[in-house]
Amino acid sequence: MNLAIQTNVKERTETPAEGLEEKIVVRHLNFYYGEFRALADNNVNLYANKVTAFIGPSGCGKSTLLRVLNRIYDLYPNQRAEGEVLLDGENILKPTQDVNLLRAKVGMVFQKPTPFPMTIYENIAFGLRLYEQLPKSELDGRVEDALRRGALWDEVKDKLGASGLSLSGGQQQRLCIARTVAIRPEVILLDEPCSALDPISTAKIEELIDVLKREYTIAIVTHNMQQAARTSDYTAFMYLGELVEFSDTTQIFTNPKLEKTQDYITGRFG
Amino acid sequence: MVSPGTNARYSRRRASNLMATVLSIAAAFFGLAWLASILTVLVVKGVGGLTLAVFTEMTPPPGGAGGLLNPIVGSLILTGLAVLFGTPLGILAGTYMAEYGRYSKLTMVVRFINDILLSAPSIVIGLFVYELMVARMGHFSAWAGAVALAILVIPVVVRTTEDMLLLVPNTLREASAALGVPQWLVIRDVAYRAARAGITTGILLAVARITGETAPLLFTALNNQFFSWNLNGPMSSLPVVIFQFALSPYEDWQQLAWTGALLITAAVLGLSILARMLASKKVLT
Repeated sequence: MNLAIQTNVKERTETPAEGLEEKIVVRHLNFYYGEFRALADNNVNLYANKVTAFIGPSGCGKSTLLRVLNRIYDLYPNQRAEGEVLLDGENILKPTQDVNLLRAKVGMVFQKPTPFPMTIYENIAFGLRLYEQLPKSELDGRVEDALRRGALWDEVKDKLGASGLSLSGGQQQRLCIARTVAIRPEVILLDEPCSALDPISTAKIEELIDVLKREYTIAIVTHNMQQAARTSDYTAFMYLGELVEFSDTTQIFTNPKLEKTQDYITGRFG
Repeated sequence: MVSPGTNARYSRRRASNLMATVLSIAAAFFGLAWLASILTVLVVKGVGGLTLAVFTEMTPPPGGAGGLLNPIVGSLILTGLAVLFGTPLGILAGTYMAEYGRYSKLTMVVRFINDILLSAPSIVIGLFVYELMVARMGHFSAWAGAVALAILVIPVVVRTTEDMLLLVPNTLREASAALGVPQWLVIRDVAYRAARAGITTGILLAVARITGETAPLLFTALNNQFFSWNLNGPMSSLPVVIFQFALSPYEDWQQLAWTGALLITAAVLGLSILARMLASKKVLT
């Protein structure tokens, strides 16, 4: 029995791709801020309906990697990516890629809650109206659905007309998640979504991640190792722009292959 | 340990602190005293002539009875037109600088030139428009006056629009872009909304600035003794009428000038207070 489990774990860790659908494949990715190379030859897979965590000390490039996946870096001059990022087999780094359509498929939630200066209702409806022309009743339904998925509906259902900025930090962050979910993306990128939140809000968002992965592919950047261990199925450890180790979360946290990874997760540096 | 009371360094520091505090309070009162005395004189001298006739009758010939109807309406028309021309241009330029061309050289050049325009003497702008429009058309006109005032409005609006948009956190732009929102919609529905109070404040301050301008109008809209809707002809305005009447030897004209000055000051004061109230609401709604 015991042996059986062990072999099972072993198989999973050695062939992580088996039976899994690769949603995003990153190949030989280099990223530059001006002259500075922030990512060096990164290779990683994001599997469909799995949560992949990116951990590593500050400045290691984990947020940068995340920002490549929806090409949000495109907003700034002097930032460029080289290599390949395949979303369902299509290279999203190709110059002809429509970034707005890409971002509708690959949603993102940021470190600081960023509600728009509009009502709670409009915060959700804004993105919806962009791609779909919905009658009022259906729009209402989609807004409610999104707020329920964001685990926020019960707290705001009586004040949908209130400003999004009137909510607490944790509520604002769930509003941002709801807003992202509303437009039905395929992948959700979470860039340290809980670092500005209290433990209770953090717990709510972690529960939410667990529910959301049934329908979405999720990538999460976090400084909190416990959070990575709790929420993710796969973990990538990054250091100085390199993707040092990528594996099953259980393996990374119990039996990492490399000493560097071991040192980081045991808190010896970083 | 040395007790603070007996420490020489400490007492010296206390003394210089006290002196600096007293000096800055005195300086503040010095400035305020002038403002207060100007307001007092205006109210004392102007309020006596504040009758209904001021708002219903034309400017009189010397010795006759009359009011300030034509310059009041003229000022409203000129200011209104100037804001109508200047605001959209200013907002568009400010939007380019803060949103589309934030990192471009052109923005730096425009910002530099705009700052010069911001502090350009208004009489120079009056002469410029005189050359550009009045001399070519062969006559003074309200159009020329409105253009001269618009040139004063533009740099103020450009500056506040750019500043207010730059205050909108980039995270908000990223968050909208991350939903797949195209840039023009991000600007219209998110950035403008977040900066609305600030941009409105800028426009109000621009209006307050041009309300009292005389020099740019002297060479452009000139003055008109009569009520006129004709934008192709000279038009009366409060500052020019005040200028003319205050310099005249006639007492009734001088009284009207005081009343006019009181009206302008009250209007500018009102606008400034409104602008402050809006600005205190912060960038975000």
